[in-house]
Amino acid sequence: MSDLAAAHRPAAAQAAFRVLVVDDDPDMVSFLGMLLALEDMKVESAYDGAAALARIAAAPPDLILLDVVMPGMSGFELCERLKSDPATALIPVVLVTALEDHASRVRGIDTGADDFLSKPVNREELIARVKNLRRLHQTRRELEGRRLAAEIQRKEAMRKTFARYISPRLADRIIAESGDAPFEAEAQRINVVALFADLRGFTRLTETLEVSRVVGMLNEYFAVITDAAYRHEGTIFSMAGDCLLVGFNVPFSQPDAALRAWRTAQAMIAGFSPVLARWTEQGGMSTGVGIGIASGEAIIGNIGSPHHMSYTIIGDAVNTAARLMQTAKAGEVLISGSAYEAVRESVPSGRAEARGDVALRGKCGVTAVYSIRV
Amino acid sequence: MSDNHNHTVIVARDLEDLIPVFLKNRHREVDTLRVALAAADFEQLRQLGHRMKGVGNSYGFETVSAIGKQIEDGARSGDRASLEASIAGYADYLSKVQVTYE
Repeated sequence: MSDLAAAHRPAAAQAAFRVLVVDDDPDMVSFLGMLLALEDMKVESAYDGAAALARIAAAPPDLILLDVVMPGMSGFELCERLKSDPATALIPVVLVTALEDHASRVRGIDTGADDFLSKPVNREELIARVKNLRRLHQTRRELEGRRLAAEIQRKEAMRKTFARYISPRLADRIIAESGDAPFEAEAQRINVVALFADLRGFTRLTETLEVSRVVGMLNEYFAVITDAAYRHEGTIFSMAGDCLLVGFNVPFSQPDAALRAWRTAQAMIAGFSPVLARWTEQGGMSTGVGIGIASGEAIIGNIGSPHHMSYTIIGDAVNTAARLMQTAKAGEVLISGSAYEAVRESVPSGRAEARGDVALRGKCGVTAVYSIRV
Repeated sequence: MSDNHNHTVIVARDLEDLIPVFLKNRHREVDTLRVALAAADFEQLRQLGHRMKGVGNSYGFETVSAIGKQIEDGARSGDRASLEASIAGYADYLSKVQVTYE
């Protein structure tokens, strides 16, 4: 067969069919090995049960031809062990035996052997039985291949679902490490850093622009700010109008959550700058990204009705970040005192300005606020 | 593959490379059988006979399997005379056997 033809054969057919011959008689091993090799099978051998177990553990074969009467562990005992171990139970075992009595045959069936072959071995019968098992093996491999493909498809669908909230990289990590567990877990209260971003004054602008243009502009804007969130492994919880809510330290622990939020804010404003320049050039629009960041406790979980569930974050940190975002000007980050303390050393000198303790709308008490111009 | 009374065995050509070692092992087997019989080790005799029965005719040496069965049965019953005769017959057979490849 040409290389080209071989390349187009199914993978299962191309992989060598590996047979382990277990027999204490070297002449029998040579004989069986020779016949199987003539059928393009890869033959390995072991001369006792212990050596066979070691070989099987190192590299499970596709089929085992097993002598029954061997010193030490008999073929029956070895077969029983293989069939009772989930890791080896599916490997077909053919007992090759010169035992002729009925009781031995019954014992062989009891051990879970898949087939019998009498000694002296008739080569035509041997080849017919082994080829039959090879066909079954290949069918099983193909089915397993299909099952794996379906599993990959399922994970890909899950990854796409996760990617609504998080970066593709983080989605891959969740699937690799724990399936969909973080999103299925019970609601919990944890410390988070919440970031709200908003396109300042854009709502007013939309009243004077054509619908198609508004949608195009929003898509450009969200492309920039979601990319910034994903690059710093933030979790996107909601996107409404021109407003985006991103959480950090959720669903996975991020000890540097505040720093990630601050860097995300910088990347959002810097990334949007050329887009804004183009918009301004085209239509003289005056807008820009305003951002609020706050840290504190929040409740995380799947909230909603049986018809619509949403992975949601609620709590004081979220409310505070929302209020800060509402008062932030274009190109400004307003950050709560606790979050600022965590990023203070990363803020270029002269960029931050303390706003003092501010009474934010809808909140009891006051909040220490800092303004950072990016 | 067949064995006939004039001690000629016809073996498939693709097994030709294995036959010298196979026959060498059979000659050694005769020595082992004699030692086992001298020691009255009937369990070893039974195992050796069982092995001969399995391997002999697999290669086409029907007589080796037949003698193997005699030895296995003789060892089970502890029949020294029968075993002695079987081993002698085995040695005689091996000294005369001729192999033809087809």
